[in-house]
Amino acid sequence: MQLAVNIAVLASIYALISCGYVLIYRVSRVLSLAHGELMLLGAYGLYTTASLFAGSPLLAVAASALLAVLIGVLVYVLLMRRMTGESVLAAVLVTIALGILVRGLTVLVWSTQEQHPLDMLGWRNLSLPMGDRARISAVGLAFVLITATVYGGLYMFLRHTHWGIRMRAAGQNPLLAAQRGINLHVVYALAWALATLTGGIAGMLIACDNALDQTMVTIGLKAFPAALVGGLDSLLGALAGSLVVAGAEVLLIYYIDPLLSEVVPFAVLIAMLVVRPWGLFGSREELDRV
Amino acid sequence: MKRVQMAGAAVAAILMGTAAAQDAYVVGVTGAMTGPQAGILAPVVEMAGAYVNHINSRGGINGKQVRLVVADDQGEPSRAAANAKKLLSQDKVVLLLNSSVSSTYAPVVAETKRAGVPLYFAGAVCPKETYPPADALQFCSTAFGATLDSQAALAFIGKSSKEPVRLGLAGMAIPVSRGEVDYAEGLAKKLGMTPVDKEITPPPTPDYTPFATKLKDANPNWMWAWSPWFAQVRTYEAMRRLGWQGRYLTWAHLNAEEELARLKDPDFYVIGTNAFFEDNLPIQAEIRAVAHRGNVKYPVTYLTEGYIVGLVIETALKNAGWPPTPSKVAGAMSKLKVDLKGLRGGPLEWTKDNHFRTRQYYRVWHWDAQKNAVTRVQDWQAIDVAHQ
Repeated sequence: MQLAVNIAVLASIYALISCGYVLIYRVSRVLSLAHGELMLLGAYGLYTTASLFAGSPLLAVAASALLAVLIGVLVYVLLMRRMTGESVLAAVLVTIALGILVRGLTVLVWSTQEQHPLDMLGWRNLSLPMGDRARISAVGLAFVLITATVYGGLYMFLRHTHWGIRMRAAGQNPLLAAQRGINLHVVYALAWALATLTGGIAGMLIACDNALDQTMVTIGLKAFPAALVGGLDSLLGALAGSLVVAGAEVLLIYYIDPLLSEVVPFAVLIAMLVVRPWGLFGSREELDRV
Repeated sequence: MKRVQMAGAAVAAILMGTAAAQDAYVVGVTGAMTGPQAGILAPVVEMAGAYVNHINSRGGINGKQVRLVVADDQGEPSRAAANAKKLLSQDKVVLLLNSSVSSTYAPVVAETKRAGVPLYFAGAVCPKETYPPADALQFCSTAFGATLDSQAALAFIGKSSKEPVRLGLAGMAIPVSRGEVDYAEGLAKKLGMTPVDKEITPPPTPDYTPFATKLKDANPNWMWAWSPWFAQVRTYEAMRRLGWQGRYLTWAHLNAEEELARLKDPDFYVIGTNAFFEDNLPIQAEIRAVAHRGNVKYPVTYLTEGYIVGLVIETALKNAGWPPTPSKVAGAMSKLKVDLKGLRGGPLEWTKDNHFRTRQYYRVWHWDAQKNAVTRVQDWQAIDVAHQ
């Protein structure tokens, strides 16, 4: 039972992070390699708002979520928009540069000292029983619930709202979508905003569960194989890929060797690339675009 | 004509710069000022820098200023090698400090050996070449020391346990931590303890619960963890959230005093060799003042290690005299004795064949719920540092 809980929590972490990779790739075909850094920025946003709105934790959380959305929009407007018409590789390189910039800025502004935003919010990461034989941390439970809500919300948004349908159209055929009057810049900015919001929420939750420090950037990259295993252009794939990678990781840690946990995501990824290079739910034609 | 004048001015500026550099003791640092490990390494360099400013404000050493040139390597070996090359060949440092992760050691050691410049490890783990019989050019003042820490830790666990010890061990997937945990496992068996599980976590991982689950299921009554702080404490927190109720001993990194007060768990112990600020020593007031003047961003409880680095640099350069050469500095460091005024259990002493320290002193602390304060549960216990 405890192993099932562990898999659910780890899969939720990977799924919440990897949905940002998928959203940006699916809509703009750009692979964002600054996602870990944007998670870090989201977490520092929470740390800052928790200091600013001491005593009002819900306000601090809401303000940090808004901040994440704003950062996503700014990244697109100030940086990625200027890459319109350039090669995809150039855009990917820009995201690498953005990551380096964000890492440097966070050190300059907040130093490298470990921070604990959960304490600043005045909340505790309680241990909750799950039946007789398992426990889950409050933040772990929040991860599972928020990931389910995010994926459910994105499904509804992409299927049943005008802007969601526009996003899908822009992702499938941007030229045709533009000719039909869809403002691509707004769609792309929305994709960056949503990706930064979900990544930022993942960063905030990790900072609350563990602590906030520079190691978060590496954690952001650890979720990347889950997105690739599922298929880089599929949200359902990101969910399935996260479950596969997390399941393999937790079971191998428990039954074989904890040291395998570092290589498992990449071993699963290599196996998937050999058997089904486009991922569990990805599109075959997307391979050319990578 | 104008170009010639500008070139002349540039050459003059370079010559003046070189002259200015040669009129000072130049010490280089390659350190993880940013990157995943910066949280426990950057404070050491910042405080050492503040101490150098303090020396300079008092007139310098032997009447000369000290210039500390800091280069960030982000904990990456290739950057550390490039930093070392630049500091040795362009800045002509007479002493090079490495305040970075152990994977940067090999390329930096190679560069300093080639240049014949002493290399001083400060803040990160001491390589075995600093233990007796020591390499002529490698020195280390970092608080923690491989094998000795586990000896001290298991001695404390043995003394504190009335019941048989079922020991769980936790490390991180870096060579130095894995080596220490393996050593502790062997030592525990020799001491009659039963090692029940050993978990090595990756650096870093988003969730420590899967590792903690395995440790908890092995049912240890004591845990000993020796790795970077985040891995030590997150494994502990995950075990507690799973309902584990044993006692956890871990290494007191720079942030330990602050973390004990955050965690407030009487069964969470830290073992270390630097005095906590609860001692309120006169030298700790001085650390506070120097850090304040130097505008150091970190809490004062993080800064003892960096202050000791400053004291070592000051003593070594003073004894090397003027003008300094790398060999004179290495010679001075090979017979160095620094009075730490209570910051550790005794002086820091290096000899010709021991560039680690001749004696290592350990204290243990925990959170006292009744006093609502961090308290000491074991005073200085000395271990003689013999040939490894």
